[in-house]
Formats: sequence, C-alpha cells, structure tokens
Amino acid sequence: MSTSTQQLTIVSIYPTLLGTYGDGGNVLALAHRARLRGYEVTTVSVAPGEAVPVSADLYVLGGGEDTAQTAAARALIADGGLARAAAGGSPIFAVCAGYQLLGHTFPTADDSAVAGLGLLDVATSRLPRRAVGEVSSLPSPHAPDGLDAPLLGYENHAGQTTVGPGASPLGIVTHGVGNGDGTEGAFTGRTLGTYLHGPCLARNPRLADLLLSWALGVQLDDLVEPEVEQLRAERLRFLAQS
Amino acid sequence: MPPAAEFTDSTSPRGRLRLSTRTAIRAGRWAAGASRRLGKGEGMVVGGRVMMRLAPHLIEDLAGDRVAALVSATNGKTSTTRLLAMAVSQTGSVLTQETGANMTSGVAVALADGDRDAPAVLEVDEAYLPLLAPQLRPRVILLANLSRDQLDRMNEVAMTARKWRVMLRGLPDVTVVANADDPVIAYAASDHPHVVWVAAGQVWTADAVACPDCGDLLSRDGSDWSCPGCSRSRPEPRWRLEYSADPANTASRAVCGEDVYNLSDLSLPGRFNAANATMALAVCEELGLDLDRSVQLMNGVAAVSGRYATVVVGSLRIRLLLAKNPAGWSELFDVMPPAPTPVIVTINSNAADGKDPSWLWDVPFEKLRGRTVIATGDRRYDLAVRLLHAEVDHHVIADPYRPDADLPAGVRDLEVIDCAATYTAFHGLRTRADREAKR
Repeated sequence: MSTSTQQLTIVSIYPTLLGTYGDGGNVLALAHRARLRGYEVTTVSVAPGEAVPVSADLYVLGGGEDTAQTAAARALIADGGLARAAAGGSPIFAVCAGYQLLGHTFPTADDSAVAGLGLLDVATSRLPRRAVGEVSSLPSPHAPDGLDAPLLGYENHAGQTTVGPGASPLGIVTHGVGNGDGTEGAFTGRTLGTYLHGPCLARNPRLADLLLSWALGVQLDDLVEPEVEQLRAERLRFLAQS
Repeated sequence: MPPAAEFTDSTSPRGRLRLSTRTAIRAGRWAAGASRRLGKGEGMVVGGRVMMRLAPHLIEDLAGDRVAALVSATNGKTSTTRLLAMAVSQTGSVLTQETGANMTSGVAVALADGDRDAPAVLEVDEAYLPLLAPQLRPRVILLANLSRDQLDRMNEVAMTARKWRVMLRGLPDVTVVANADDPVIAYAASDHPHVVWVAAGQVWTADAVACPDCGDLLSRDGSDWSCPGCSRSRPEPRWRLEYSADPANTASRAVCGEDVYNLSDLSLPGRFNAANATMALAVCEELGLDLDRSVQLMNGVAAVSGRYATVVVGSLRIRLLLAKNPAGWSELFDVMPPAPTPVIVTINSNAADGKDPSWLWDVPFEKLRGRTVIATGDRRYDLAVRLLHAEVDHHVIADPYRPDADLPAGVRDLEVIDCAATYTAFHGLRTRADREAKR
C-alpha cells in the first residue's frame, strides 16, 4: 500500500484484448476520483506477453470477444502475476469477459469449457439467449459495506454464471439478466466481478470508492459530482418507464 | 426525397423482367404509398418488404449484369458510394441510393426505382453484404474498413470478416478493391484470386490488435503490419494514399505506380474522405474509366446526404457532422476548427445509433480540451460524464437551438458552429432544418 506517499498505482490488464465496451472508462473513473482526493495516480497498461506487476494497488480487467477472452486467460495463467497480486491482498475489479475469466471455467464460441484463473469461486456456462440491455441491481445482503445505492449499467454477454460457496453475489437484479439466476456479479475478499459495463465505475461512483478504499487502506469521504448524479437519475427514470 | 417519384418507371415495358417481379414492384409501390398516406414515413421499408415477399428473386432480376460496384465498410459507405457514383457518371446516368438505405429493402427499392439501363453503384450494410452480393453480382466490391459499431445489435468485427471471407469464396469472378492497411479487411479478402490492394490508411487500430485468423497480437510499424503467429502481413498495395496533415497545408494524393492523382481539391474534408476517394479511384480503374475525369467529378461532391452541410436549426447555423462510433470520431476532430471554438455534440441511443453508448469511453474526447462543448441529445448526461472525465468544459442543454437557450458565451456570435451527431440525431436535425426552412 502506498498511503503514506499519497500515491496510487492502477494496473489495466490487457486493454487491447479486454476493452470492447469502453472499459478504459473504469480506469479513468478510478484515477479521476483518486485525484480529486489528492492522490497522485499512475496507470500502467499491461499488454499480453508482458509481466503483470505484483505490487500495484489495484487491478482492472474489462470485457472482450470470445477469442480475446481465451487468449487473455491463457496469458494470465502463464504469467501468474495477477494470482500473486490477489494472494497479496490487492483488489481486482473485472467486468464481463474479465469477470468470467477470474472464475473456474467459461465457455468458448463452440461451447467448450476454458479454464479461468480460479480467483473467484464462480463458473460460467452459456445462457440460452444472449443478455443485451440495461441492467440494474440492488446491493445483495452480502455486499461489502459502503455499497448502498443501485448499481446501474449495460450488459451484453451470453454467460450464465453460478456463484459458489467461496464467493458472494454482488447484487440482486432489478432489471436485466446479470448472472442469470437473479443475482449479479460476485466478490470474495477484494476480488470483485460484474457484468455491468457502461462503464461501470463512472456510473457507480460508490463502487469506485469502495475499490479505492480497499486499494488505499483508508475510508474516503463522500464525493458527489452533479453530472454523475444527473446521469444516474436519468437512467433510473428510464428503467422505471421500461 | 420526392415521395411520389420513388417508384416511377419501375414497370416500364422493357419486357426483360419476370412477371412476378413486375407484379411485386407494383404491389410494393402501392404499399409504400399507403404507408406514406398513413403518415408512417417514406414507405421504403414497407415497399421493399412487400416486393421481396412477392418476388424473392427480385433483386437478382433487377440487378441483371449492370451492377458496377458495391461499397461496404463500417465507416464511409455513403460518402464513398457518392464519390464513386459521381465518377461513374462520366459514362452517363448512374443508379445509386439517394438516402443511404443500404439493407435489403433499400437496395430493392433503389433498383426498382431507377433507370433500368444505368450502371448501379450501391452501398450495402456490412452485415447484409453476404446476403446481397451474390444476388447483385457486381463487377467490383470495395471493402474499406471494419471496426466496432452498434455492438448491441451487430456482429463482433472478426465475425463479420469471417462471413465476408466465406461470401468471397462464392464470388470468384468479382474484383475486390480492399484496404491493405486494415488487417481485418486484409483477412477477409486475402484468399480471393483478384484483389486490388489499396493503402488507404487506418487511424483507429483498436479493433485490429489481434490477428483475425490466429489470434496472435499483430506487430505494427507505421501502417505496416504483420502477424508473428501465422505470418500474415500487409499485402503489397497497387494504390496508396499520401496525406499531409499539416494544418497550414493539408495535401493529399492517390498514387498508383508512376501515376499521381491530386486529391487536395476534394470538397469533402478530412483524411478519411481522401482515403474514400483513393479507394473509389481504384474501383474506377477497374471499371475502365478516365481517372483524371473521375477526380474532377469527385472534387465536386460537397455534401453527402447532409454530411458537412450547413443548415439552420432554430437560432443557430450549424455544420452537420455524422459521428457514430469511435473510429469515425477519431478522425473527426481534425476537420473541426481549432480550439477554443465551441462545438455541439449530440448523442442519441435509438436502435440505429446503438442502444449502448459505452463507446463514448473509447472516443478520445480529451482532444476537445480547451473548448466548450454543448452536450445534447437523449444521452447528454452520459456525454457530460464522459466529458467530465476528459476534463472538457461542457454545458448540458436539452435544446440548444431554442432562441432562449442558455448558450455558452460566444456561441451566438459564431457564423456557423460544428455539430457532431449520432445517426438518428443527425437525421433529426436535417429534418428539423428542412421543416423550419419551409415555414
């Protein structure tokens, strides 16, 4: 942790492979909210084949197409850096394909199962029908402290994700599909995955702050930005009408 | 479009069409007219659907052997088609879409509507190309670029390329004019026996990071690329675009061997339109046209279906720019006047825009720093959050065109302000400008 020096290092894992749905926005949102609190932020993008640094403060994975997802999982398993970072207690935030590949298995385009990293106790098979559209959830009873607002995003995936006993669902779906069983996302310790893109952390600042507080080891004061609140209010109105 | 003229001459007694085709065209015309009378739009989709239902072979029948070229791409279809159609007009009249309707109905109506002897130059939606190309049997297919667009309804990029590849296997006699600088396009066309490669450039490379064939990461050096995994590499181009982006002196030319064609006098702005013209010129060569005359004719194309047109909406005079995905946006900043000139950005998320505006986070809006952006459209709040993170000054205004709109200082003093809009926002503004002009 680098609290004493007021520094934050965020690692963006394979943004060239896992960045189909504006996922770079999650890194921007984390950096933005940390800077507003006076932290100096360094963002490191790691390309496949490069070693994942093990001592960073926070790791972010995005979504990607089937072949990119498989390639990313293989490269991360071969490298081993992300697993060591997780074992060392560093927070990991993963969206969609990134979420799936943190689990035990996920399906390829031809429905064969590919091994994930096993950092989250979830397993993903194929939904009967692709889930595409607005998605919202309320924080589940197990959700980490600090999450008390609806989680809002957009989903576009074909994954049916089962959360095992070693993890907890992040949210209870109020609109959309999520994991496919009425829950959305999963977390264990400081490893957290979700199907929400949009990107997720720009739309859900409390989730961004939760990850930052894990990364920095401090409680963060509330920080409300009118643009973000207007967007959330507009999306909630839209969901109420649809 | 003049509605009543839409299907004129479609059943002229030339005797070459099957009876069922002629009947279908009449029924389609009737259905389109009924749809218009009921106030449900121009009737093109309904008319086209009725025609295709009654005569499934209609497109094949109407196309005959007169389709000179098809144009497909994620970005630039409509502009490239217009440039090419203008060049082909040196031989006489040309049949092309007037509205940019580029799916099955749009193509059917365009063919049924126009001069039956004229060569056709048609744009085709990238997802519909594998269905329509075998029916249209063109002499040339122009494949310009593929990138992420409307991911909530479209295929992923690599999937589209695979479908194009299969399609081209069934069209061995066609000539393919393809962008060698786009690895996804190169993958789609590479096995075809007759490809004319054009180095038309690729500015947005994020959808061509991994080899579409083997999945390895591509190596890049300038516009050159190769795959370390399967040894695919950029094909040797016959044509290339040379573009100088020096703001004081933008210059562009198309080069083919010893021959050089000056493209600096194109009326359409930007590097991407010079690329569109270079690819169109490569098609003109395959069609045996006079290339100097082709350039002259393309120079005269000033606005394409409203793109780059200056219109008056409410109390503002705006230049309309279509900006619908990250690849398009990444080249659009350069055609805007420099900072601190304010701009309007309009984001909608209707079906034709893509319902998921996450792509806003792939656009380098940081390039707008130093200006004030008027954020509007149905998804103006999403845009505002994006601009907040990009550290771009912005005003969210539901309708900036109202005379009483609270606009940023200086905006009302501008003679014209650039307005970049997604697809339905763009057409909404055109319609509003037309309606207001008629008052």
